[in-house]
Amino acid sequence: MTLSSNGMLIRTGILAVIVIVVVAFFWFVVGPGPLDFAGGKTVAIAAYSGANPTGVPVEFAKDDLVTRGRYLTQAADCQACHTTEGGLPFAGGRAFKTPFGTLYSPNITPDRETGIGTWTDADLLQAIHQGISRDGTRLYPAFPYAAYTYLADADVLAIKAYLFSLPAVHNAPPANSLAFPYNQRWLMAIWSFLYNPDQRFQPNAERSPEWNRGAYLAEALGHCGDCHTPRNRLQALDNHRKFAGTVVQGWRAYNITGDQDTGVGAWNNAELTSYLSTGHATGRGTASGPMAEAVDLSLAHLSATDHAAIVAYLRSVPAIPSPDLPAPKAEPAPAAPKLGTPAGIDSRGQKLFAGACAGCHDWTGVSPLSPLATLTGGRAVNDPSAANVAQIILLGALRQTIQGVSIMPAFGSAYSDVEIAALANYVVARFGAKPSAITAEEIAELRRMQ
Amino acid sequence: MINLRINGDMRAVDVPGDMPLLWVLRDILGLTGTKFGCGIAQCGACTVHLDGIPVRSCLLPVGTIGERAITTIEGIAETPNGAKIQKAWLDLEVIQCGYCQSGQIMSATALLNVTPNPDDADIDAAMAGNICRCGTYVRIREAIKQAAKSV
Ligand code: FES
Ligand code: FES
Repeated sequence: MTLSSNGMLIRTGILAVIVIVVVAFFWFVVGPGPLDFAGGKTVAIAAYSGANPTGVPVEFAKDDLVTRGRYLTQAADCQACHTTEGGLPFAGGRAFKTPFGTLYSPNITPDRETGIGTWTDADLLQAIHQGISRDGTRLYPAFPYAAYTYLADADVLAIKAYLFSLPAVHNAPPANSLAFPYNQRWLMAIWSFLYNPDQRFQPNAERSPEWNRGAYLAEALGHCGDCHTPRNRLQALDNHRKFAGTVVQGWRAYNITGDQDTGVGAWNNAELTSYLSTGHATGRGTASGPMAEAVDLSLAHLSATDHAAIVAYLRSVPAIPSPDLPAPKAEPAPAAPKLGTPAGIDSRGQKLFAGACAGCHDWTGVSPLSPLATLTGGRAVNDPSAANVAQIILLGALRQTIQGVSIMPAFGSAYSDVEIAALANYVVARFGAKPSAITAEEIAELRRMQ
Repeated sequence: MINLRINGDMRAVDVPGDMPLLWVLRDILGLTGTKFGCGIAQCGACTVHLDGIPVRSCLLPVGTIGERAITTIEGIAETPNGAKIQKAWLDLEVIQCGYCQSGQIMSATALLNVTPNPDDADIDAAMAGNICRCGTYVRIREAIKQAAKSV
């Protein structure tokens, strides 16, 4: 073998290693974008043959800028994060407890000192598309700019017009309390480089206008993946497992892929639409916690055509099973309290259920009071982690539905961790397909996260 | 207008659909036998029946009742089990202050509707949601057993 051919081999070898490293880097560290699963060619909006998927639905197209902005602000669910419990809308200050410390959402009312009253159009576009604040500091991806980056400029400006039409609220939220190195905002520049494509939405030429509208609603505005897609170690969405479900702030956001048993593949279109628009579908359960909030503040306000578009889009997401979840049990539990609970369950759970829960939820799990209170068939009682059942017991539920207010009292301050664990396990054993074993320590941990 | 079937009569009420049935009964229709205790389905004082099933009327939106027949304490003596329960209640002098007792009688009657011969565990499970601050629980248990035995 000659010297030069040897050198060639080494060079080829090095090149191959570099290629493998780069490919592995993009596959494992960066991963696919949220819409890569769809394949096909994307085109500029002007070049797309169907209707423009951005903006408001046609029936609202003639409304003034502020009204259109309101629709889009609701679709993007800005209010949920930028409002504290019982606080003034958009005045900020809601705490987000992360493993790295606590973040507080900013005030986005037009107050000139504590809000965004002095922001120009360019300032807001930069924040929403690039995650860079007006003063040049980097925003944390708790603000879902890697999703909002897909928003059309016109939609961002309509949202701005709406926000600026609201009363200014003077409110300076607390400063973030993040530990080093997470308090180094400049590091987010690296994160953004890796995970924020800084691109506007481009329709998929091979998909229907309805699918593209659904994609725009779910990815750019609704940012569904921010709760329903697991994250990688750098806290970016791992779209290899797109919509396969994960845990956010102690609540489990369930699998919304097309998987038959553990996702929403077995739901029909009417059920999906009903869940999105009312937070409830007969036999499928009731939204609670953060999803209830997303329904009440955002999804319930969308048009019927937009609900249909989201459903069409959801249907196209590849099925991924959640191995720890059973297929939900559809049959109600027996009416007699003595029947229907497997042996070996902490008897305190049944006692608590009899006193505090059976009056509304009934021993069958089918509530005579309100369909919203029916447990049978719901995902939470069919989740052997019992996380969401425990959360609902701790925090109760408050739904602002179109039909009126619906409440379940919170039991967090009435019962001990041991009692709540026993009750949650009893509920899952009685109404679900697979028993749970949540512990008092886990309940204490859920309390700490509140 | 919402039409309700209460103790066998049809009543039309002009109220919002999310008003709890308890408010309609007490404040609109004057049926004050049903009591208000907690308002959050935790005490049982407001218990009524929908098609024989006990429900907490304080959290029951009146607009969701539809065709289901409502029975309140004013009408419970018209049902066979309700009559037995009331007689046993009188015979054993269950009542102390009485505030919780409308709800206790409604829950006890509903228990006999599904479990004609309840044992202690059945009684505990069915009655645990009805709180009595006077502590008449022992007499309630006895009276339910006596009513079950009576013909
Ligand atoms: S008033 Fe309805 S249960 Fe207490
Ligand atoms: S008799 Fe007084 S509260 Fe029960």
